[in-house]
Amino acid sequence: MDNRIQRISRNFFLHIHSPKVSQGTLSPTYTFGLGLILSFLFLVMIITGFILMMNYTPSVERAYNSVKDIVFIVPGGRYIRNIHRWAAHGMVLIVFLHMVRTFLTSSYQGKRKINWIIGVFMLIVVLFMNFSGYLLPWDQLAYWAVTIGSNIAASARELTDILGITNFLDIGGFFKKILIGGENVGQAALTRFFMLHVIFLPLTLLILTGWHFWRIRKDGGLSSPQVHESTSHLAVKNDQRFYSWPVLMWIELAILLFITTVLILMALLFDAPLREQANPAFAENPAKSPWYFLGIQEIVSYSAFTGGLLIPLLFIVFLISIPYIDKETKYTGIWFSGNTGKKIVVFSVLFSFIITVFLVFIVIRFGWLKEWFDNVPGFIVMLVNPATLSTLLYISWSVLISRKTKSARMAAIALFSCAITGLIIYTATGIWFRGPNWEFYWSFSHWPVM
Amino acid sequence: MVEKIIKKSTRRSFLRQLSIILASIAGFLIFISFLRQFIPRISGTDRKIRLGKAGSFPLNTFTYIPEYRIFIYRDNSGLKAISAVCTHLGCKIEKIEKGFQCPCHGSCFSEKGKVISGAASKDLPWYRLFKDADGEVVVDLTKKVDSDYILEI
Repeated sequence: MDNRIQRISRNFFLHIHSPKVSQGTLSPTYTFGLGLILSFLFLVMIITGFILMMNYTPSVERAYNSVKDIVFIVPGGRYIRNIHRWAAHGMVLIVFLHMVRTFLTSSYQGKRKINWIIGVFMLIVVLFMNFSGYLLPWDQLAYWAVTIGSNIAASARELTDILGITNFLDIGGFFKKILIGGENVGQAALTRFFMLHVIFLPLTLLILTGWHFWRIRKDGGLSSPQVHESTSHLAVKNDQRFYSWPVLMWIELAILLFITTVLILMALLFDAPLREQANPAFAENPAKSPWYFLGIQEIVSYSAFTGGLLIPLLFIVFLISIPYIDKETKYTGIWFSGNTGKKIVVFSVLFSFIITVFLVFIVIRFGWLKEWFDNVPGFIVMLVNPATLSTLLYISWSVLISRKTKSARMAAIALFSCAITGLIIYTATGIWFRGPNWEFYWSFSHWPVM
Repeated sequence: MVEKIIKKSTRRSFLRQLSIILASIAGFLIFISFLRQFIPRISGTDRKIRLGKAGSFPLNTFTYIPEYRIFIYRDNSGLKAISAVCTHLGCKIEKIEKGFQCPCHGSCFSEKGKVISGAASKDLPWYRLFKDADGEVVVDLTKKVDSDYILEI
């Protein structure tokens, strides 16, 4: 065993492991191995990405056909592309679950604060990586999703218009031009997104991943109930700790094999979609973003600025500020911080579910301000819409919980549960209940032919 | 206050602070000039486009011109040009029975281009039309006009 410990500490690649890990770290119901799954998925993305890049041409004339070549001519290309796509979707899903897990076990306290914030930035990079990859096939879906996305960036104009300063200080237009290099999505946008997708964002994510791993070691391994801020990890009794080699490595191998199997099965069963070539003259109806952005697309359909910029920004600010709001270190490493927390999660989810569904129901059944009154000014709708109302209600609910329990932890849990539930409901509405012209359709009803 | 600072600072600390300030200003300027590399110089946006003879557009209908994303409306009194790009997030709007509707997020506009419902906060712009020397209709995408504006024929 000593020999193995020496090899771990001497070998550059094995050194990522600590010689020993605690029991809590290995417990499958504590981490669900989500971080490991993410790093393996990232590895898969890099390998398949290299292969795809070899056969792809980032030009408006060639991009679509080169993706077609990948699917129909390159041997096995279809499956490489499928794996790349499903791994990308998997990353989005699992990075969210990983965040939820880290939050609900309050693994962001004390010195872990920095790692939580790094994690939030990694979440943003993963989302942008997906978004930038979305344009590259240059099909109808890609073209219109990115047109919408770039105009969301430009929607800061709605605010500067109200202030009457758009002519001197066009922040929205500035963002849009930086992002797509022009007024409309074209060659400049494709070049930019290609660069972002294959160099800038993966490199950023790689650096952040290294930092993230290094911080875990610096913070004394994963959080667990046994390890408190006051006791260093060395003080924990030896009998609760296992050798990383072989115990942890077997688990890693098992997860790697599991992920590979799932991805290969997905790639064999489900093809990544490729619509007709991008056509700037005609929009798809409905023009839907990838599923993980449909929540944002749903609230963007109430107001571009609040839905696309303000509320996502508020959510990110909230995520980053969590360790500064909640400084209680009592329940670190315990799911839901015990039974009170569990109750608050249940009630918050219920509360959020009821009010969000109610607001969505009102919009769908009765419309919103513009249908009710004549000449409603735009900025009123920008400020008063289901998305802002639900955000306000989530915050007041959290303030209420904070008053009742006198605990910042419980307030944070309440707000987080409400926000995540709201996000899921808006996303589900966007995925299953919106059809042509963004009108309401029951999930499995047939859309009229447009 | 100022005297206090001056008394406290030695020559060395003063020079250190000065160099930090100067270096930050220089760094900021370099950053700005670096940023300018990423902003395109767009010159192709001021466009006047010939659309053909007035008679080539069908009567009492909105004709879609895909290349420039505009609708041309013709009736007995003349021609009008309206943008076919939704003011919400830039999708191409579609003509429906009463006005226009956007497929992306469902904003509706009246035939005058006014927002009726949905998330769009601005009305659809109308563009100036004129006739060139050959008698062809030209749309000027740089000049926005009222919805009452009409090119008489």
